[in-house]
Amino acid sequence: MTAVTDQDHTDHTDHTGRSDHTDHTGRTGHTDRTGRADRADRTHHMDHTDHGHSADDRAHEEGDHSVTDTPTGEPSGEGTATAPEDTRHERPAKRPDAGPDRGQDRGPAGGPDGGPDEEPAGGGRTRERAERAPTRVPRDPGTDRAADDRTGAPADAPADDRTDSAGAWDDGLIARRVNEGTGAEQGVSPESRVGAAPAAPAPLAYDGPLRSRLDALRELVGLSRARLDNRTLAEAGRVLDEAGARRKLSGQHTVVAIAGATGSGKSQLFNTLAGVTISETGVRRPTTAAPIACSWSDGAATLIDRLGIPGRLRRRPVQSAEAEAQLDGLVLIDLPDHDSAAVQHREQVDRILALVDAVIWVVDPEKYADAVLHERYLRPMAGHAEVMFIVLNQVDRLPGEAAELVLDDLRRLLDEDGIALGEYGEPGATVLALSAITGDGVTELRELLGQFVGERGAASRRVAADVDGAAARLRPVYVTGQRTGLSEEARDEFAGRLADAVGATAAGEAAERAWLRNANRACGTPWLRLWRWQQDRREPAATGRLQVRTQADEEATARQRVEQAVRTVSDRASAGLPAPWGQAVREAAVRGAQGLPEALDELAARTGLPPGRPPRPGWWPAAVLAQAAMTLLQVVGGLWLVGQIAQVMAPNLGVPVLLMLAGIVGGPLVEWSCKMAARGPARRYGQDAERSLRDAAAGCGRARVLDPVAAELLRYREVREQYGRVTGVGAGAR
Amino acid sequence: MVTLDVRPQLLDALSALRDRVAAARFPLPLAGAPRARANRDELLAQLDDYLVPRLRQPEAPLLAVVGGSTGAGKSTLVNSLVGRRVSEASVLRPTTRTPVLVCHPEDHHWFSGMRVLPDLTRVWMPHQEPSDDLLPTGPDGRRVLRIETAETLPPGLALLDAPDIDSLLADNRVLAAELMCAADIWVMVTTAARYADAVPWHLLRTAKEYDATLVTVLDRVPHQVVGEVSRQYGALLTKAGLGDVPRFTVPELPESAWGGGLLPASAVASLRTWLVHQAQDPAARRQVLARTAHGVLDSLSSRMPELASAAAAQYAAALRLTSAVDGAYDSEYARVRGRLQSGAVLAGDALKRWRAFPLDCTAGELLDALVESLAALLLCAVTAADERVDDAWRREPASDAPALTDRDPLPDNAEHRIGLAVRRWRRELEEYAEDEVRALERGAAPDPEAVAALVATVLLGGRRARSAGEGLAERLGAHGALRLRDRGGRLLGEHLDRVMHTERERRLAPLEALDVHAEPQAELIAALSVLQKER
Repeated sequence: MTAVTDQDHTDHTDHTGRSDHTDHTGRTGHTDRTGRADRADRTHHMDHTDHGHSADDRAHEEGDHSVTDTPTGEPSGEGTATAPEDTRHERPAKRPDAGPDRGQDRGPAGGPDGGPDEEPAGGGRTRERAERAPTRVPRDPGTDRAADDRTGAPADAPADDRTDSAGAWDDGLIARRVNEGTGAEQGVSPESRVGAAPAAPAPLAYDGPLRSRLDALRELVGLSRARLDNRTLAEAGRVLDEAGARRKLSGQHTVVAIAGATGSGKSQLFNTLAGVTISETGVRRPTTAAPIACSWSDGAATLIDRLGIPGRLRRRPVQSAEAEAQLDGLVLIDLPDHDSAAVQHREQVDRILALVDAVIWVVDPEKYADAVLHERYLRPMAGHAEVMFIVLNQVDRLPGEAAELVLDDLRRLLDEDGIALGEYGEPGATVLALSAITGDGVTELRELLGQFVGERGAASRRVAADVDGAAARLRPVYVTGQRTGLSEEARDEFAGRLADAVGATAAGEAAERAWLRNANRACGTPWLRLWRWQQDRREPAATGRLQVRTQADEEATARQRVEQAVRTVSDRASAGLPAPWGQAVREAAVRGAQGLPEALDELAARTGLPPGRPPRPGWWPAAVLAQAAMTLLQVVGGLWLVGQIAQVMAPNLGVPVLLMLAGIVGGPLVEWSCKMAARGPARRYGQDAERSLRDAAAGCGRARVLDPVAAELLRYREVREQYGRVTGVGAGAR
Repeated sequence: MVTLDVRPQLLDALSALRDRVAAARFPLPLAGAPRARANRDELLAQLDDYLVPRLRQPEAPLLAVVGGSTGAGKSTLVNSLVGRRVSEASVLRPTTRTPVLVCHPEDHHWFSGMRVLPDLTRVWMPHQEPSDDLLPTGPDGRRVLRIETAETLPPGLALLDAPDIDSLLADNRVLAAELMCAADIWVMVTTAARYADAVPWHLLRTAKEYDATLVTVLDRVPHQVVGEVSRQYGALLTKAGLGDVPRFTVPELPESAWGGGLLPASAVASLRTWLVHQAQDPAARRQVLARTAHGVLDSLSSRMPELASAAAAQYAAALRLTSAVDGAYDSEYARVRGRLQSGAVLAGDALKRWRAFPLDCTAGELLDALVESLAALLLCAVTAADERVDDAWRREPASDAPALTDRDPLPDNAEHRIGLAVRRWRRELEEYAEDEVRALERGAAPDPEAVAALVATVLLGGRRARSAGEGLAERLGAHGALRLRDRGGRLLGEHLDRVMHTERERRLAPLEALDVHAEPQAELIAALSVLQKER
């Protein structure tokens, strides 16, 4: 038996058959049925006859299908509006039974004598359809949408559940069907003709947690675009793209690449698994120059397309029922080496390793400890341990117990690489020894591979590992492990610095003292006031009373203090943030600080005390009156005494002396008590002045600097949460 | 071609060059730095381990170093050439962790001293039947060379079994490269499975670059494919321009490896004959020596300029870093000057105090406020300069050097230093004011503190402190006021310069500690040209 090469399918553009459809418009609603009958006949009569026809056939499948899936798209091609409706009615009904036994259903139905076999499957309708069949036997086999209906429906059904992107889905489906038809059709072995009317494989469905992680990652990338450069996000973007691309493709298949050093026996193992010499083996190094794909079941064409493997390098394994059942859904890729002097091989390996679902690393006793393998591939891919097989090939070259020794050493090295080994039922890489030449251990690998492929989980696990890897690589730009945020103290300190910058404390103190001074002046003894007044007249500069310093102050706010305050607070805010976000916070602070000093200037001028004398409280006149009364007492007493001395008045020393004394003592007493009484209001006055300045400055600072900074911090927190969603849920799901 | 006699001048020139190479440092993490460092180490190893000893003592035995990838069967090959198990061979990789040198007993003295490979501690195992558990493990952290003697080897030839050149252990790789550098004859071992690997080819190309005497052994060839593999390998070698390299093929035999047996003598006979011929035939020997030695000498003319340009790049990067610091501090200094002139210090608190002075504010308070404001201005300038330096350095890959990144994380230190400087200025200003006041003959001398406050206001307040100047002139007289202003201004300038200078030096200190200069470049080139003149 030889393997079969897929042909290039470039000639699918022949749509002439479509014109036929218009002939059948009269048979509204029955087109599908007759088509189905045709199909039965056609497969009966025309199988094995003509490959060219088959190509036509596929072309029409393509045309028809686009109609089916987008009913509004081109109904005229089908000539009937009921047919699509019909289809949609049938689909859900068929889904439950068709899904599970699709695989076994396909085998007999598509075989050489698929026509008769179809009868029971089609049920009553088939019979009805058979009656009409004779009239249309020579018909061009283009309109076999009935066949599509039957086999395509189960595959389509899950797609209908996914309502997200109908358009993209359509494209994917058509492409898949065309390619897959080709892949199957060109088979020489009868088994491979099974795919003549194959089912479109269901696309991959990620489980909930993974999907939400992918969504979170997408959102995270979106949120971070403005802050991080593209290079940082490239990896995450690539993971998203690949996850999206993989999702659209078959979930029934698992793409497994065989990678390894040159001469380790990758191709040998590949051939052994396929049961036929597909990949050239030899002593010439490096042997395999281009990747070769081998698909165990149909529907993998688009998957292989994604790897960029041309049609001439696609093969089918030798089909045996047992192998088919065991490895159903496996797509095996034989890679070139990764360590030879041929650099382009390495590039191909790197490219394809990023796209496949799982990898079998083939090592041999000679090369299992090569630095290039461990340092360049295994260590970086340690997170993908679950989708890794590590196979020690060529154990036949090792004597007896040496194989075990080497295998243990290999396990040790893998452990050092950080690869979790799947022992004792834990998830991780599978390590086993085999010999592709003698066949030792191949059965075991085949079993493990069958089980692995059967689980259909590799693609999701690979994507999950990719997401893990991308998240880990992004970690430094999202997480620092330190507490972030602007503490209350930092805010207070900022307000304090701004208050310093506008001079709130000094202004308050000055106001308080001015008030006190005025109070003293107002309530002082007139003699004192007289003395002061004289002093003022003598040297006005000393007391500053006549100084005109209340000129327009430009730049009353200390610029350097504002600058320093902003710098300090932005440093505090960005402490513990990853560099890009810290930078954003600083930029926000600096942007907010522009114009802040001017605003503070204006504010200080507005809220500061009006120049001139502080307001006078109500009790001052009373105090002044009392002071005046005291002075009056002194004067009266004095006059009285003078009168007595002048003998104008009757001598009576007691009363005038008492009066005068009362006046002399009372004046300072009143002054002192006024001073005491003024202290409280003065402090209050000063504090008011200080507080009003302080509050205004703080408010201005908050609005211009703290709020933007807080907004930036909030944005970071959002992103951080998103990042947590990317990683955290994954951990929870495991 | 120059014959290999001992030539003192050449040796002198060479050791001068060696010292220059050893002195070259590449501390800044530039793109080319790791490569330059590796080049320097390799060149040093080649000079120390091979070229200098070889030129000094041309009569020393030939050293053939057996190198190759892990699992290529180097140890087995050495054992087979010697005829007994001198080097441990095993299925587990990497096998050879301790290099083993095998020589004839008469040649032992050549290698037991520190003539070649001075970095490696010698371990001499007395002749005994080696068993698996008798692997000498050197003291931790020291690299060890085991020396074995064997009668079966001809005098004048030594074999060195090197660790894997592509070992998983990075130390092994470095050691292997160093050992290869010490070789007169490079014996490259590869296998049927490996002959297209990138790593050994890299080594082959290096050997070609240095024009070393090279011989390749294709080991472990299954006998069915001997012809084809050998032809393929030959084709690859020819394509790489190494077609004339002697090539030996050793078939894969059951005893060949996985157990550490010896290959039958016939399997390695041709290789052995070739090696013995090189060692014992005087003409062949001279040619081998001259070829490798001159290869290394020739390679210097390209490697030294490479090192020199790496040194120049280091210096250029250091210069860029320094000029970034200088630029930042210069512009900040200019800004501080400008702000002082415009009276920015007399703002905020200080301005409020000044307004209240002297009625509602004492001279001391005004001075305090002024000094504090000045300190804030300076601190602001210094931190702004630091920020600018950080910004500029972020764009420089060289600034990632660990010495430069972990600066003292306490900017309070700067605040502290500036505070000290400013307070000292205040104190000196007060002293000046007292001097002036004392000089006044008037009985009613003004309060020195008020004078000091007024002077400070005049100096720091710029235009807006005009009235302070008037007040000062009133108190001290126009002459005294002017003198005090001048002295105070000069003092202020000095302190300002000193603060900015100190901070700049502090910032530059770690960079200067790295000791990157312009000289190494010129010195390297000069040493090379001296050497070339001597040849």
